[in-house]
Amino acid sequence: MADAQSEAPAQQELLEVEEPLLSNLDIFLFSLIAGLLIYWVTFRKKPEPIPEFKKLDAPAPPSRETSFMEKMKKTGRNIVVFYGSQTGTAEEFANRLSKDAQRYGMKGMAADPEEYDMAELSRLSEIDNSLAIFCMATYGEGDPTDNAQDFYDWLQEGEADLDGLNFAVFGLGNKTYEHYNAMGKYVDKRLEELGAKRVFDLGMGDDDANLEEDFVSWREQFWPAICEHFGVEATGEESSIRQYELKVEEDMNMNKVYTGEIGRIKSFENQKPPFDAKNPFLAPVTVNRKLNKGGDRHLMHLELDISGSKIRYESGDHVAVYPTNDTAIVSKLGDILGVDLDIVISLNNLDEESNKKHPFPCPTSYRTALTHYLDITHPPRTNVLYELAQYASDPKDQENMRKMASSSPEGKALYQSFVLDPCRNILAILEDIPSLKPPADHLCELLPRLQARYYSIASSSKVHPNSIHICCVVVEYETSTGRTNRGVATNWLKSKLPTDNGHKASVPMYVRKSQFRLPFKATNPVIMVGPGTGIAPFVGFIQERGWLKEQGKEVGETVLYYGCRHKSEDYLYEEELAEFQKSGVLTQLNVAFSRDQAQKVYVQHLLKNNKEEIWKQVHSNSAHIYICGDARNMARDVQATFHEMAEELGGLTHTQAVDYVKKLMTKGRYSQDVWS
Amino acid sequence: MLLFEWLSEPLPSSPDDLSELLAAGTKEVHDKAENNVFVRDFLRGRIRKELFKLGAVALYFTYAAMEEEIEKNKDHPHLAPIYFPTELHRHEALARDLEYFYGPDWKSVVSCSPATQHYVERIHEVGQSDPVLLVAHAYTRYMGDLSGGQVLKKVAQRALKLPATGEGLEFYHFEGIHSPKAFKQLYRSRMNELDLDAAAKEKLVQEAVHAFHFNIEVFEELEEIGKTLKDEVMDAGMAVHGNMDGDINKCPYYAAQMAARGGSAYVCQMAMCVLRHPTGQVLLAAWVAAMAGLAAWYLM
Repeated sequence: MADAQSEAPAQQELLEVEEPLLSNLDIFLFSLIAGLLIYWVTFRKKPEPIPEFKKLDAPAPPSRETSFMEKMKKTGRNIVVFYGSQTGTAEEFANRLSKDAQRYGMKGMAADPEEYDMAELSRLSEIDNSLAIFCMATYGEGDPTDNAQDFYDWLQEGEADLDGLNFAVFGLGNKTYEHYNAMGKYVDKRLEELGAKRVFDLGMGDDDANLEEDFVSWREQFWPAICEHFGVEATGEESSIRQYELKVEEDMNMNKVYTGEIGRIKSFENQKPPFDAKNPFLAPVTVNRKLNKGGDRHLMHLELDISGSKIRYESGDHVAVYPTNDTAIVSKLGDILGVDLDIVISLNNLDEESNKKHPFPCPTSYRTALTHYLDITHPPRTNVLYELAQYASDPKDQENMRKMASSSPEGKALYQSFVLDPCRNILAILEDIPSLKPPADHLCELLPRLQARYYSIASSSKVHPNSIHICCVVVEYETSTGRTNRGVATNWLKSKLPTDNGHKASVPMYVRKSQFRLPFKATNPVIMVGPGTGIAPFVGFIQERGWLKEQGKEVGETVLYYGCRHKSEDYLYEEELAEFQKSGVLTQLNVAFSRDQAQKVYVQHLLKNNKEEIWKQVHSNSAHIYICGDARNMARDVQATFHEMAEELGGLTHTQAVDYVKKLMTKGRYSQDVWS
Repeated sequence: MLLFEWLSEPLPSSPDDLSELLAAGTKEVHDKAENNVFVRDFLRGRIRKELFKLGAVALYFTYAAMEEEIEKNKDHPHLAPIYFPTELHRHEALARDLEYFYGPDWKSVVSCSPATQHYVERIHEVGQSDPVLLVAHAYTRYMGDLSGGQVLKKVAQRALKLPATGEGLEFYHFEGIHSPKAFKQLYRSRMNELDLDAAAKEKLVQEAVHAFHFNIEVFEELEEIGKTLKDEVMDAGMAVHGNMDGDINKCPYYAAQMAARGGSAYVCQMAMCVLRHPTGQVLLAAWVAAMAGLAAWYLM
């Protein structure tokens, strides 16, 4: 405005002063105006297009409504899902939950706590069957996300009375950070402290593992529980909420049908490097021998030939294998489902926008799907039972199946006693609930994918560059229903004998790099603790130290703590270890035989016996400690032994000792390769 | 955002582990880098595509230089223990990202900015004259990439609406690392295995601080460039109205929607918009001049 205003008076002045030259002035003004117009026409910038801005579906303009109560009442909603989101994940979950509500005859909306007056939570009970769900991500050091800061401060003030408020919380976190899911935990606890009523347990998602899976599992249990709480019938009863649609393929070109490949079709016939999770290498099995001399278990040592695959590995890495299910179980499933297993089908996603077109590679046959792609041995999750319930013709069976999916104590107990304790897999459930007759395609949609299994490699690539060794124990046990359950991968591996009727047995595999590594300097002492099959990576480590010695390198202390049940039965690699000790590669071998005497003797007892020496190695000689094997008990007990050592010999308090070991972990001097 | 763990009580064990010295020695400059405006905005989802692309270009030149020097010195006793090309090296992933953003001719389109050049020169200098200092540069970048860098990936994906299949963000995806936490632990143990005396460690810590400063310089340069891109429409970050100081009328989208609904605020809003634009000002000037001219002509 300023420029224009200063121009106008200038023009007027010009007019008054130059009166006698009026005609010239006319021309002057005219040309000035003309010039400006020409400038405007030729040099005007085209209106800038707004880049990458998709037209919104004209949502209601963001009114300055800060009352979610008003909004909910106006639009007939009873559920509000608040999100504390930094990267958008919590917000996405909140949106999905609010959409879910429809399936249960309710109406939900997602809301950003930063935009609303959260104090209204104390009034939410004015709406019938109302519920506030919170999807709260934890940020940094256990902090709220930016958009949840105000809400967090408000909660801390603690002046609200939330009596009558129904709530549930799902937390998004990451276990690699110290304050795992701090925000989710805090909100869940605090709301209750302020008088609100928790209607479903806190869910915690771990982004370091699988956040999506954690969310889906929680949500699948959540809705049945909510329906029960409000006495609302889940409307998904008559119409099943299918995600995929069955298409029976007639006259299919068999070249286009999947027969067990993980990625590209025919990738098992035309093998092309590089080999990875989506393109595994079919490694021939060259050795498959039993390791134990007695006892009722079967421990085995396998060698996979990787020549020509260009696959490289280092000791400490993991080998992943893609097992297949027992064909006998698959056939029985076919019988009980009453379906021809060899017809070719496709399951196509009803949501065309989704990236996931099929639940497993399609088109394929039911037989292939049940053998190669689907998990049919783990006890089915509650959501699977819930979805299948509609196919039980006996109403009592239907009721029980739905009950098992609910969060009521009776339901949980029923699931525990009927499914978990007796380890019933899907076949057992179909056999034991005769009125249950689901269609094969719906079952295939519900079953989880068959996962690859990982084993710590039991060889050193320096000594065995073209061979990967595996050491594992076959899983087999009797259930309380009199059935024998068998581990998928271990039994499958057991059957892989080098030459099977002239046909070479092979294993689809790839190498997953781990961070479980020997120290760079061969002179650094290593203390390895690996009872049972936990010895696997250490066989590789010891082989490598041996190789370094042969190369003329100076090698430091190489100490192994191993444990098994009976010396005469399951002392794995006894001869090899004796040989390594004789040649001086293995400088110290300590073995605990847990059941060879009256009292149990485990590796941690042996560690305690040598505590002074171990402490010296660890504290003054930069020894690296490695633990491999059972996560639940052994790893925990061994760690406790190191705490005690630090307390006793390092003169530390218990807290300091715990910190000391934690610090060793951070600095990579205490590594674990453990499984449960 | 906490990227380091440290203990509050001094322990009897060796306080001169390189990993700990580096963590302590760079804490201050690390906080400074985190609080840089560009970085803070990025974390909040306020990152414009043009700047993100330029950031990727800067990263490309930096990592190409660093990985070139590491490769040249891979058998050097001070670099061999931390040589992890399969797990860590980024320049190929960055090349794929740049191809995604700039097309197959990206190499002829992108250039090394002054601040990046400054950084790259230092990397080549230490690679040639004192290779052990490369450890400081590797530590500064890779440890960061494996920590907060993972968060940046998600923020960028959402803010820039990049495909879920990962194009444009391959830099942030470490294919060869299953657990960033475990890898960082391994990396620290390797750094601590280096045979260095106290003086050499101190020099390394100082070089790491330099490395942080080079990074901050690049952020500041991006911030400056950002100011000249003012007219570009920003892609939505988190709270779209968050930085409007509560005055929703400042939001251009709101204004556009008000226009669609025919609100009376529209005309004023439109007028204000036009007047802020230089062409609008010239146009108004021309109009006033024309009116003045006509008035004068009529009156004369």
